[in-house]
Amino acid sequence: MVQYEPFKRVSGTRQDFDRQVATVCQECTVGCGLTAYVKDEGIVDLQGREDHPISKGRLCPKGSAFVQGLAHSQRITIPAYRNTLTRGFESATSWEQALDQLAERLRRLKDKHGAESLIIGCDPEAGLDFYLGARRFARLWGTPHVYHPWEETEQATRLAQELPVSPSSEWIESRCLLLVDADLAVTHPVAFGRVLKAQGNGAKLIVADSRYTASMSKADLAVPIRPGSGNLLGLYLLKQLLDEGLEHKDAIEAGFEQADNWQASFDRMVWDGVENHTHVTREDVLNISRFISSKHPVTVITGKRLAHSPDFGIWRTLAAAMGWIGHPGGGWYPMDAGLPRVHPDTDIEEPPPENFSPRLAPFPYQNRSGSNEELLFQGLIGSGNCLDDFFLPVRRQSPKMELIVHFGAFPNETCQQAHMVFSAAAWAERDGLCWSIDRALQWAPRILPPADASHSGLGFWAGLAQRLGWDEFFPWIRKDGRADRFEFYRWLLKRDPQTASCDLSQLRDNQDLFFWTDKTEFPEAGETPQFYTQNGRIKPVDAPELPTAEDSDIDDGEYPLYFQSTRIVTRGGDAGNWWPWTAELEDVDAIQIHPDTAGVLGIENGDAVVVNSPKGCLEGRAWISRMVDRRMVWSPRRLEGDHVLLLKKGQSADEALNLLKENTP
Amino acid sequence: MSNKRINALMIESSRCMGCQSCEVACKLEHELPAGPRPVKVIQIGPLQTDNGLAMRYETVTCYHCDRAACVAACPTGAMQKRPDGIVFSDPELCIGCQTCAVACPFGVPELNPATGKIAKCDGCRDRVDQGLWPSCALKCPSGCLSFGTPMRVVNDLRTREALTIVRTLAVR
Ligand code: SF4
Ligand code: SF4
Ligand code: SF4
Repeated sequence: MVQYEPFKRVSGTRQDFDRQVATVCQECTVGCGLTAYVKDEGIVDLQGREDHPISKGRLCPKGSAFVQGLAHSQRITIPAYRNTLTRGFESATSWEQALDQLAERLRRLKDKHGAESLIIGCDPEAGLDFYLGARRFARLWGTPHVYHPWEETEQATRLAQELPVSPSSEWIESRCLLLVDADLAVTHPVAFGRVLKAQGNGAKLIVADSRYTASMSKADLAVPIRPGSGNLLGLYLLKQLLDEGLEHKDAIEAGFEQADNWQASFDRMVWDGVENHTHVTREDVLNISRFISSKHPVTVITGKRLAHSPDFGIWRTLAAAMGWIGHPGGGWYPMDAGLPRVHPDTDIEEPPPENFSPRLAPFPYQNRSGSNEELLFQGLIGSGNCLDDFFLPVRRQSPKMELIVHFGAFPNETCQQAHMVFSAAAWAERDGLCWSIDRALQWAPRILPPADASHSGLGFWAGLAQRLGWDEFFPWIRKDGRADRFEFYRWLLKRDPQTASCDLSQLRDNQDLFFWTDKTEFPEAGETPQFYTQNGRIKPVDAPELPTAEDSDIDDGEYPLYFQSTRIVTRGGDAGNWWPWTAELEDVDAIQIHPDTAGVLGIENGDAVVVNSPKGCLEGRAWISRMVDRRMVWSPRRLEGDHVLLLKKGQSADEALNLLKENTP
Repeated sequence: MSNKRINALMIESSRCMGCQSCEVACKLEHELPAGPRPVKVIQIGPLQTDNGLAMRYETVTCYHCDRAACVAACPTGAMQKRPDGIVFSDPELCIGCQTCAVACPFGVPELNPATGKIAKCDGCRDRVDQGLWPSCALKCPSGCLSFGTPMRVVNDLRTREALTIVRTLAVR
């Protein structure tokens, strides 16, 4: 074999610095290691940590661009309030005084409208502690309405935590990687670097997605699928494999509960309509199944979106049935499923307030068609730009709300509607524990102290709880009034058997770089059980008798196109929208349209266009591209509803609809 | 200082995933405002081909030409070529006339609106003089960008290609 010596990369900075901080990027969940060089309490350079096993010195654009948010001229660094929305904000004299005022306003809200009139929205940027603190606070306060987008991946987390995971560092051992609705090149670029590395090592890359994504452009086999049909593709694939007897019989016998019934369900599943349901032909299903069955091991990587559709567990079933699990470079790797199983309030023994309803799950207010009837809220505490993001449906009510509190760092749309604003510390300004998608925990020391009167989410909730007499439930406050984040995370880790043995001081003091939450829960159960369940078996997903396509029948009606919004590569959370010198790299107002659809409507590149859904509308500039299918429109901006009508600005809805109908083959 | 050995930035665009990490790394390194993008990633496609759609990214930056048109055109001598090959514009001498931008056949030099001077890839000369890799190459997560002597980068490319072929064929 040829001896291959990789390049000797020479990293470091040319800048003068007073100190350097080795920490972890928290713009996404890959958990890349970065070194920040600090001079006069400002960051003068950022480089990847060459010795970091996850990222080996690489950083994606967010991992360097976040520095723009810290010393931003428009950043909110002290709390502020106003009595009516027509007035400007007045700065509070201190963080403490603002919390006093908030506690008072909340008490009045509760007296008038009851505890459940309060809803809390947590965005990932505010940190896990903001969410956990909110859950605890809400339990004491008496409202079940706490929401975090992470909850959407709770199912993935639960399913994934019953299996050993092969971390991304082992993908190099893989012979085939199957990505479904997972555009890692955009959402987790450093992890995608690993995929490319595996490909360079001979692994085949199959990418199935409803858009022609950056990741798909690298695939050896690109599989365009119908929007929302990812899990169905998994069912058909497994049926094909079972029909041909290509499954791993021993793995099934050892690992599945009621394997016979399960197998029989696939015998009953019919092929009718496979192309209609998935846009993948029978022949292509055959090709893909031949492909994946001839390679071993295979890792299937699934995106977050799939967790919203039925039969999501099919991927774990597929990986287990093929015997990929437990081999380096094999198994199921659901994105963003490495999160802790949180028990943030089960220790609170106080009797719950009268009429306390249990948590509402799944969250009924998000951007999904068929959401439940509307609940009415009078108060909102939200972080990031929730009203313009995952709380879009709540936004309709917000003008009538009595109290809106924005916990954030920028005067975004949510802030514009707020009565009170609390200055949030950025992740680079708070020590914390990072849960990475590899299911590794890392301690991330802060780079800088919090700007002025900015506090972490934990500090916010603990301060508020103090004022309402619940100090004993939030004991993590130091003498200087700041949150003791180390003690908080230590407490949290102890609450989950998977993490209870983690010694946080060792992580903090750099004796250990990682704590692997994997492989810790059932360490004594004989010769490494394949699955981390009590009996070592998992419940496979049965085939539905008649596969039903998702509600994406978009051929007729007033909203004949399908809308999808996904992230763009250069921006993370809300702060990313304020980064001045990277703002130009990608157009957030872009609306992607297939050339044929654009032609029918007379739209040219850059034209002002409008996307209408039954519940809202979005304006932007046309980006004509085959990345979307004829029937799809895509934008980085959110819109409530996924069936839409597209118009050129100035065109009437009827005109556009007629043109689309007349010209659809 | 500039008698150091000649190095090359290898761009293997077929590996690029369009993440723009190089662009951001460059802007951070050179404190550039919105506007100039010394290294720029251009998405091409998806185009319809006989085998379905195809799309790729091209990472483009200054070629540090041997007979650089920009250097010849610059009226003040700000644009210069170092013995190690790096072509850069000295901000002390640059008057922002953009003659170089017109002269360059590839449209590389751009004006930095914050300083009124030319912003162009300077090969991270200050880093390279300290023995460090250019910022873009270090951060690139795909392996598209690498840095070393011309011989080394070319050999590396060949070896990797050979290994990919071998490993793809290897039955495991
Ligand atoms: S991939 Fe994620 S963790 Fe790594 S640098 Fe980018 S945003 Fe940060
Ligand atoms: S700026 Fe243009 S002409 Fe000058 S060295 Fe670079 S590519 Fe060549
Ligand atoms: S950093 Fe690398 S992969 Fe990303 S855009 Fe630049 S050259 Fe391409």
